[in-house]
Amino acid sequence: MELKAKGSTSIKALLVEDIGVCRLVLSTFLLRLHCEVTLAMNGKEAVDLFLEGKKFDIVLFDKDMPVMTGPEAIVKIRAMGETDVKMVGVSADDHAMEAFMSVGADLFVPKPMRMEALGPIIQEVINKKKNDMV
Amino acid sequence: MAAAALRAQLNALLANMFTTGMVDEQFQQLQSLQEDGGSASGFVAEVATLFIDDADRIIADIAALLDQPVVDFDKVDAHVHQLKGSSSSVGAQKVKLACMHFRQFYEAKSKEGCLMALALVRSEFCDVRNKFQTMMQLEQ
Repeated sequence: MELKAKGSTSIKALLVEDIGVCRLVLSTFLLRLHCEVTLAMNGKEAVDLFLEGKKFDIVLFDKDMPVMTGPEAIVKIRAMGETDVKMVGVSADDHAMEAFMSVGADLFVPKPMRMEALGPIIQEVINKKKNDMV
Repeated sequence: MAAAALRAQLNALLANMFTTGMVDEQFQQLQSLQEDGGSASGFVAEVATLFIDDADRIIADIAALLDQPVVDFDKVDAHVHQLKGSSSSVGAQKVKLACMHFRQFYEAKSKEGCLMALALVRSEFCDVRNKFQTMMQLEQ
């Protein structure tokens, strides 16, 4: 599912989250930050999107999901050569940071993620995209 | 009832939810998103409804697991973790804290402890569910 806000920054965000209310809150934050948002319900759906050739600037992963976890999906996506995509782990699990960072995530943010935390992350992705285009 | 009076009732309800620690800054942020016009009106109600439905289901699943002759504590862990995530995302602070309290009992594999912890989770959830439902009625 793809969601788009008015005045898009053209930052393509993939949100990988199995819990409905968490998906709604984070996707709303991303839309508020003018991202184009695609939703996936688990790690396998995220991997499948990359296998289909879909491109994203940033991917936010929950940790524990059915079928495939966030860290498992990061391993597979990085193995496809997707080294430029910013991968962010998001979890309420106290031990999640190591699980994400050890498999190649760029960042870990504990749940609940706040707008004040997400805003600078998206801005950094925007700045990097602009620099890459120069 | 006049709109102003309903608004006053709603504000009093929300203030009470904050001062009693039932909800935290995360809930405030969701409200701000709606009030700033960044989200559709009804956004907070939609989030609250989703949370209530998710939490109802998760609590029922945990109860069913604890009702088994042999309890799968790993599954209990997974469900409590889900509820902790969803409650923290909506700002239901007391439910989140009850989930954090739960951990010591499934880690100790104590069925009795888990049942007591579940009772606390259920109690805190019922309280916030009632408040959310009243909030949504007043907003309508």
